[in-house]
Amino acid sequence: MSASPTTLRVERLTVRYGGRMALSDVSLEAGPGELIALTGPNGSGKSTLLRAVMGLLVPDAGTIRIEGADVAELTLKERARRIAWAPQEEPVGENVSILEYVRFGRHPHLEPFGVEGPADDAAVERALRRVDFWEGRNRGVQELSGGERQRVRLGRVLAQETPLLMLDEPTAFLDIGHQLEALERVRTIAQSERRCALVALHDLNLAARFADRIVVLSRGRLVATGTPREVLSPELLADVWGIVADLRWDPTTSLPYLLPVLPLDRRAPGGPPGRRWMARVHVVAGGGSGAELIPRLAQEGFEISVGAVHLFDSDAELGQRLGVAMATETPFTPISSRVIEHLEELLEACDAVVVAPVPTGPANLANWTALREWAGRRPMALLPLPSELPWDFTGGAAARLREEILRGGGEEVPTVDRLVAWLRERVPAEALHPRLP
Amino acid sequence: MSVRGQGPTSGTGVHAAPPADARRRIPLVYLVPGIVGVLFALLVASTTLGSVSIPPWISIAIFFHQATGGLIPARACGGLSAHQCYIWTEIVWQARVPSLLLALAAGAALAISGGSLQGIFRNPLADPFLLGLSSGAALGAAAIFVLNIGPAHQAAELPIAAFLGGIVPGAVIYVAATISRRGPETLILSGVALSTFFSAILSVMLLYNPTSDVSLTFWLLGSLGTTSWTDDGLVTGVVIVLGALLYLQAREINLLQLGPDVAQSLGVRPRRVVQRTVLLTTAITATAVAFTGIIGFVGLIAPHLVRRLAGVDYRVVLPLAALMGGILLLVAWDVAVAAIPPIVVPVGIPTAFIGAPFLIYLLYRRRTPGGSAAPVSG
Repeated sequence: MSASPTTLRVERLTVRYGGRMALSDVSLEAGPGELIALTGPNGSGKSTLLRAVMGLLVPDAGTIRIEGADVAELTLKERARRIAWAPQEEPVGENVSILEYVRFGRHPHLEPFGVEGPADDAAVERALRRVDFWEGRNRGVQELSGGERQRVRLGRVLAQETPLLMLDEPTAFLDIGHQLEALERVRTIAQSERRCALVALHDLNLAARFADRIVVLSRGRLVATGTPREVLSPELLADVWGIVADLRWDPTTSLPYLLPVLPLDRRAPGGPPGRRWMARVHVVAGGGSGAELIPRLAQEGFEISVGAVHLFDSDAELGQRLGVAMATETPFTPISSRVIEHLEELLEACDAVVVAPVPTGPANLANWTALREWAGRRPMALLPLPSELPWDFTGGAAARLREEILRGGGEEVPTVDRLVAWLRERVPAEALHPRLP
Repeated sequence: MSVRGQGPTSGTGVHAAPPADARRRIPLVYLVPGIVGVLFALLVASTTLGSVSIPPWISIAIFFHQATGGLIPARACGGLSAHQCYIWTEIVWQARVPSLLLALAAGAALAISGGSLQGIFRNPLADPFLLGLSSGAALGAAAIFVLNIGPAHQAAELPIAAFLGGIVPGAVIYVAATISRRGPETLILSGVALSTFFSAILSVMLLYNPTSDVSLTFWLLGSLGTTSWTDDGLVTGVVIVLGALLYLQAREINLLQLGPDVAQSLGVRPRRVVQRTVLLTTAITATAVAFTGIIGFVGLIAPHLVRRLAGVDYRVVLPLAALMGGILLLVAWDVAVAAIPPIVVPVGIPTAFIGAPFLIYLLYRRRTPGGSAAPVSG
């Protein structure tokens, strides 16, 4: 085998499968000791990529090199000595023992009609010890639980002693404990034995937790690659998975993890299929008045900005978690002219304004003053004020400004449901912004 | 075991297959001598059965005397006239023993075929008889009789004609198993349909049989009675040579148990293994059928018993199934000879009496729906 530093090099791989482009123009590299998580939504081409590398699908274009050798020029057995693959599920023969099953992995190393020798027995023993089944090697595979079967499958793949391991959803059907255990095991093996592990994983948190690098596929194309920190962003999650996610940093590992918050409503106005067009809506909220409104608008597919709000206000925190643009002011200080400038920029950039029933005091009265100037310049919807709670703590100034806004073009919209319909109606089609494909 | 059966949804309730404990196998050091011993004891004991009543000890003595080339003197003949001794020797050595040896060879042929087919199709119901291979071969061979092509019974043309007849069902099961995405029962049902179809054609042939030879009908139901040492040699030779070729693929058949994709990822060309195996099993089955007629279920039962006793490594299963098939057919032949003396019933009748309930047992034991006959790709 050559001493090339890259274990796997895929160049411009294109695979047509069942009459459609399953993979187009995918390139990636992976080196020894690396654990690469291959991720993407269902049907994005993760399994197809693994199957193409394994040679189970014939590429229409592109090359796959393993340690420098073009796999198209390798025999099946030569390929099987370099690449091992475990599908999501595989049948096991009736009455096969764990030892026999793991020994199947030695087939590519045997002469056509040869039998297993000491080297093969040693490799099988190493693999069985790696997956903690050396003691129980005579048990039947059929009697094992799902997690144990996953381990045995890993053992079979390890016994192949290949520089590249490919595992297709190795955590499928496993509970959370076994998921962590399985991936921890794969990572340890990859690092200690300097093998390259290419793992298809749909669970992004597991991918972020265990992978050195993440490769993101979307509809057969590679859309992002890099470390979990580099790759996972609110924009990518929205574009590829169509979700609004609360992306956080785990302080103990400094790795990103996410709480999926909402699926984006892909019926956003006027969008041609496959491409989303978003209207920008500016929300004036604060004091929790946007708690229902902001996530709902995000889910409906609007791009949102918020402000001006005070930092640590619950609506400001909500906006931060959703990763929206915000004009923010230091807590307990009146909104400054600098922040108002920022607010004006956001208002300028938006297609419509929504005003939540913000409790207003001297500190945020400036919002209303600014809104009065914009009442005729943008479609503006005001949600009704709470009937039983006071909201105006400015001695009537805020209430007067609100009246002026309603006279100057603002409309009161009674409910959030009506508001969504109102926005769909009011936002002009030419104002819709194309987003990344 | 089905693919679906592995998921967490399959459950482990009443419908689960009984747990297969790999430790419950019999070690080969006991199993192989055991099977060989039973086989030999049966062979010797079977020499005592026949329509002519010969005292058992005399037939056994004659068998050992002849089998060792006269090294063991035939003491039993001591009290007999030379003429009587000559006749009994002829009966035992030229009539009974050739039938027994044909039983061993044909039993081995059917069991190897059944075992290999079960392996490549991951289908425990596969059997040359149930898949229609046997009746296709019988049709080919019968065409020689009925159409009076050449001097039948003499040359190698019977097995060749049988092979040609078996190619049609062979091709059909290959296509059914590799292309159709249906369950294992579908494969068997299409085999049964083919089998019925060929039997209908055979019946027509028999009705218009110009020779009106009753032995033909008998032969079709399975007959070991009209054989000779030459025929035995031919069948045995073919079974050994083709069986060895099948055996060379045993490791690949093992890997096919993991499904065609995983097998290919381990360096096996699934289609090639399936093609070769179907071709070889067709040839082996055809050779047996050409000399014995249609004998069902031996190829179904023998590999099953072996897998129960010895596990699933086809490098062990195939040779042991050959021995087990010999034992089964020998037993069936003994029953055929001894059931209603002095009539010898066709040997296909006792195998059907054992095999049909066994098939039903298998169908009910494997309750997992869907099944494992995944199509072979790549």
